[in-house]
Amino acid sequence: MKNFLQKIPEQVKRLSVLLLVVVIVFIVATSLLTPKDFGLVGHYRAGAIQNNADKKMQYAGQEVCADCHDDIWKTKNSGYHKNLSCEVCHGPSFNHVNEPDQFKPEKPRDRIFCPVCHEFNPSRPTGFPQILSASHNPRRICVTCHNPHNPTPPQTPKECSACHAEISSAKSVSSHMDIPCTKCHEASEKHKLRPREYLPTKPANREFCGQCHSQDAKGDEFIPRISMATHEPRYVCWQCHYPHLPEAL
Amino acid sequence: MEELIQHLTPILKEVWGYIFPNEIELHWGILIVLYPYLTGLVAGAFILASLVKVFNVKELQPTYRLAMLTAMAFLIVAPLPLLAHLGHPEKAYEILITPNSTSAMAMFGFVYAWYLMAVLCLEIWFEYRRDIILWAQKETGIKKWIHKIISLFSKDISEKALHFDKKWVKIVTIIGIPSAFLLHGYVGFIFGSIKANPWWSSVLMPIVFLFSAIVSGIAMVLILYMIITPVRGKQLDILCLDKLASYLFYVMIIDFSLEALDFVHRVYESEESIKILAYLVSNKLFISLVVIQLFMGMLIPLAMIALIKIMKSPPDLKKMVYFISAILVQVGIFSTRWNIVIGGQLFSKSFRGLTVYKITFFGLEGFFASVIVFCLPFILLYILTKILPPWEEARNP
Repeated sequence: MKNFLQKIPEQVKRLSVLLLVVVIVFIVATSLLTPKDFGLVGHYRAGAIQNNADKKMQYAGQEVCADCHDDIWKTKNSGYHKNLSCEVCHGPSFNHVNEPDQFKPEKPRDRIFCPVCHEFNPSRPTGFPQILSASHNPRRICVTCHNPHNPTPPQTPKECSACHAEISSAKSVSSHMDIPCTKCHEASEKHKLRPREYLPTKPANREFCGQCHSQDAKGDEFIPRISMATHEPRYVCWQCHYPHLPEAL
Repeated sequence: MEELIQHLTPILKEVWGYIFPNEIELHWGILIVLYPYLTGLVAGAFILASLVKVFNVKELQPTYRLAMLTAMAFLIVAPLPLLAHLGHPEKAYEILITPNSTSAMAMFGFVYAWYLMAVLCLEIWFEYRRDIILWAQKETGIKKWIHKIISLFSKDISEKALHFDKKWVKIVTIIGIPSAFLLHGYVGFIFGSIKANPWWSSVLMPIVFLFSAIVSGIAMVLILYMIITPVRGKQLDILCLDKLASYLFYVMIIDFSLEALDFVHRVYESEESIKILAYLVSNKLFISLVVIQLFMGMLIPLAMIALIKIMKSPPDLKKMVYFISAILVQVGIFSTRWNIVIGGQLFSKSFRGLTVYKITFFGLEGFFASVIVFCLPFILLYILTKILPPWEEARNP
């Protein structure tokens, strides 16, 4: 045995001792540092589950909202936003559940929040309601016209949009969306059967648009006004402005 | 929250097309770019050193020990960018004590430990053992003790023992070559095995990583040799430089071919990601990939070295061209790492949009932190050369 040990080169002996030290340090470190509950339920510390459970709650969950706001909750769940949880728009509201008066949930009252989902983007699915916020009623906040709990967009009369879908979809996002087609066009019942023989009327004079857009017209302040006497008096309005999407000029 | 909004708002303005919400900010920044760059230098410097011992390239002897120490200095610093990137670096040891054998990332600690202890330390120890013993005999004070401890209090410098050392240097180098391939191939594997990311997911990734690592390692040793030697008041060995440049040239040709193969393969396959990747390359990565990586870091050095080899040039011109080429190669390889790590996170997994990477200056993951991490190996190399001088004249007769 002694002979055998002597035959081993010095380098091997010294390196073997070093290797042994490294292995022992590693084994001792592993046994000391590995948490006692490691691996009991998986490749992690079993206590980590409780640590996560102990974290402060931020979201309450929409079922809790229904306890107090059941009418709104029912409206939302029957509309297009049924798949959205309340806190998607109103923010984390766990505190509101505990102290309803002290902590009020957020209410998006701008034109930035809704376009996060509804701004036009060619990547979004076909049929998903999308707008160009720069031209879609630029001076109004979204909730003026849309009820976020039942956001079905305002519709043009169905009998026109059946054939004039492109015009109706353009109009539905314009500032003229609330004006029914028949306000500007008179169309007889025969137009539906023989459209090219019985054409609908168009406003024939400037005064028609002037009912809302002249300087002395009555109506909301945000409607653009012009001087009927000086604003291109030789033309009818629709020769320059596209009435179904006036913002498009 | 307010801080987060302020941070994300300018980035959001530069997002193109449609991206998923969790893709706005990149999770892997400049530190993770630095990590494969540093490990690449380790593997490259080691392969260069192995040319001397295994393949008997005598001309490279002046750079052998320097290459080993360079590999060592960079290897010690290589995990630092990873540690700085971790939210809880103090928990990093857990990856070793509770190893998850199904995670490639978790296995890094073992690949690293193997390479550091079983390859580099062992080879340096066998290579230097005789010199360390002799230095310790002549020295006094702390230096004597450092050398004694490093030599593990070894004393045997008989002919037989030295022959044993020589034999084992060769054996460890032979084991070291696949280990170096494993170390850097592993880094490529980490990226190449992410099948959800078409920019990364490629079986060629480990091998492309490996050859670019060898390129960068050879170039780094060439730069260090060309700076250190004149600083020490010594003459550069032009034969050694010629050989280094030749190997750099050959490995760059292989690296270029592999990258071209990868490119052609992607274009020919034309998977559904090809359009967004083409857009990525022609827009966000145009400067860093086409201009810096391809032209500055690959084609210009290749052309310069080829020209200098074809024409019988004076030694001074050769030195200048080799040095400039090696610097360009370093910039190019760093850019390669950048394009892989950052590029792979710039496009949306919806394949319909791109985000941007805004580098911060301060903080653990900022520009300054990465500059410090990059400088550390050089400081470490300086200390290593003081403890284990790699110079010819430091060897005992």
